[in-house]
Amino acid sequence: MIHIDQLSKSFNRKPALSDVSLTIPSGQIYGLLGPNGAGKTTLIRIMNQILKADQGIIQVDGKLLSANHWKDFGYLPEERGLYKSMSVSDTLVFLARLRGLTKYDAQESVRFWLEKFEISSWAKTKIEALSKGMAQKVQFIAAVVHQPNYLILDEPLSGFDPINVELILSELKSMKAEGKTIILSTHNMKSVEEICDHVALLHKSKLIAEGKVHALREKTINGEFIVRFSGNMIALANALWTEFELIDTKEIGENRFQIVVRQRGERTFEELASNLMGKLKLEAIEKRLPSMQEVFLELIAKEEMNNEE
Amino acid sequence: MRNSFLIASREFMDRWSSRSYQLMLVVGPLLILVFTYFLLKFGDQGKSSLRVLIADPTDLLGNKITSNPTKAVEYSFYTTYLDFEEFRDGNRFKEFDAFVEINEKILNNKTVKLFYRERPSMEVKIKLKFELERRVEEIMIDQFTDLSIDKYRQIKQPLNIDFLNVYDPKNQAENERGWVGLFFGAIILFFIGLFGMTILRSTSKDKSNRVVEVLLASVRSSELMLGKIIGIGLSALFQLLVWAFFIIIGLLIFKEYIFIDIFDPSNYEGMQFATDVKNDILLNSNASRYNMFIELIYHRINYGVMIPVFLMFFVASYFFYAAFFMTIGATAGSESDGQQFIIPIFLLLLLSFYAGFEAIYAPESFLALFFAYFPFTAAMTALINVSIGVTTSGAFQIFFAFLFLLLNAFVFIAIAARLFKNGILNSGHRINLKTIFQWLKKR
Repeated sequence: MIHIDQLSKSFNRKPALSDVSLTIPSGQIYGLLGPNGAGKTTLIRIMNQILKADQGIIQVDGKLLSANHWKDFGYLPEERGLYKSMSVSDTLVFLARLRGLTKYDAQESVRFWLEKFEISSWAKTKIEALSKGMAQKVQFIAAVVHQPNYLILDEPLSGFDPINVELILSELKSMKAEGKTIILSTHNMKSVEEICDHVALLHKSKLIAEGKVHALREKTINGEFIVRFSGNMIALANALWTEFELIDTKEIGENRFQIVVRQRGERTFEELASNLMGKLKLEAIEKRLPSMQEVFLELIAKEEMNNEE
Repeated sequence: MRNSFLIASREFMDRWSSRSYQLMLVVGPLLILVFTYFLLKFGDQGKSSLRVLIADPTDLLGNKITSNPTKAVEYSFYTTYLDFEEFRDGNRFKEFDAFVEINEKILNNKTVKLFYRERPSMEVKIKLKFELERRVEEIMIDQFTDLSIDKYRQIKQPLNIDFLNVYDPKNQAENERGWVGLFFGAIILFFIGLFGMTILRSTSKDKSNRVVEVLLASVRSSELMLGKIIGIGLSALFQLLVWAFFIIIGLLIFKEYIFIDIFDPSNYEGMQFATDVKNDILLNSNASRYNMFIELIYHRINYGVMIPVFLMFFVASYFFYAAFFMTIGATAGSESDGQQFIIPIFLLLLLSFYAGFEAIYAPESFLALFFAYFPFTAAMTALINVSIGVTTSGAFQIFFAFLFLLLNAFVFIAIAARLFKNGILNSGHRINLKTIFQWLKKR
């Protein structure tokens, strides 16, 4: 578990992090979200001991973060960088050894990961000869080659094609299954919904929301419902009347539809159900959870409003 | 320290795998040896022994030159008039390399002509001139004075003024040897300049590659900086040792197999006469300087002291200057931005040469003392002092200068480490003093 307590950092008197406190549970995938300039990279750099915080502490499994933790952390920075003139295997062995592995263990681990990602044939290829996507894969391996317990990834999916995005996501899931803790910063909200257990939302250097993904989505009320039914659209229009607004319609079969409606005023789920029942052959009614994108925008908008007030 | 070692190994291997580095390992010493070869080969170009026919129709010289002729010149006499065309084309003269035309007015005009088939070497020219001059002198003493030859030569002796240092009356510290120190100092400056630029480029490259962020997540910034300095320094030292090895082997081959005559002291016995008569022309001649070069390089430098002092100052100066190159590389927003800050460093490197001249020509001056302790010029001054030969107090001065340089190297490495830490993750900015002070103050 990583416990961050009242962390602050500023550059030239401009706050990059203000009094941020978080708890990242072990064995989870934790998403750090926030618009550009929110302070995500600063937080990540402090966790990686690249920067020192002006105030606050970080504890890892109850101990203060120190140089002893280097071997426990893996890091994939947003701006990728490798030695262009070195070969793939030499680069990976070098970086693994910097993280504390012996030469032999580093070589074995590199062999394992290259085989796992089916790129053993690149072992002797120089980094400068790799395509951007290939170099991204190597950079990902560099972050995990020493089998860290904590993996910090800054925009891990950028630069990957859809096939490799799936590969990385499945790898992250299997690492989570092995009990590793993964902290990722991303703008890809779809992947956040897909793999993150917890998220923290940073905005203008402050933490504005934190919690389980599902709980945050539940908490953000949008008053939208998904309805699947058989019947015709005229009957639907009559049933909704002016109390609900139809915002999406999709035909899913012969005279079968899936619609999304939004409540107006103080209307409730029960009222919607009673309005529709008897007028249409209902298959299902469910509350539509907002996407993380919507949650993100909603929370930011709220924060902006609070700031203005 | 383990991580610094890993980074140093990577930096070393990076240089080692570079083609230009490998090429310079071989080409560098080869160029120096080729240069030395030509210096030795053509420094005293020309025929080194001569069979000379002296055409003396009036028999002025009396078929005699000197009772103790040098081995390099063999004289024969011809008491009939001979012109150069006859000498050139006549079969009976083919065995001679040159002929000297002694005219009847020689005692008045003091001029003779020497016709050669192949240009004689400087050394042979000097011997020949000296011996002929002595013979003509003997005849003139005989004809125009009542003095004995010995008396005349005693009178002819020029007045010598020996300029001696009151603190070094035996003149143990010889200025000529200072040039060897200057040469060794120049080697240090050359390598510092060359590998200092490598440090700067390597740091800028890591910054622009963004690899530095990956590294700093595994190592302390000070470990990274030290690893880079040590790795690049080791590659410089390795290159220097390889150069030294090849150059020493080459010079030994020159001495033992190629230029045996030049290095044989017995070949210079005849030259000793030059100092007897204090012939200014001879003393200032190329030949004199040429032999001094060989004498200096092969005999008059105490390499047992010189080499350890050289290595000590090489390492300390390298660390001292590396701190500056590293700082520029880490703090500059771009490689081109860093280039302009190199100029003052190179000016300080050049200042070492001025310090070197000061140490050779005015070793007692205040400026020479200042340069001896000034960390930017300490290496050059110390090496010159060592090559000249130092007294006990001088040795202490060199030792303290070394300690002071080492102390400065530590201080500036510590300052560089802080600037490195705060500057290495910043790019795209224009470096200025305000930013540097801010980074210096930052934890």
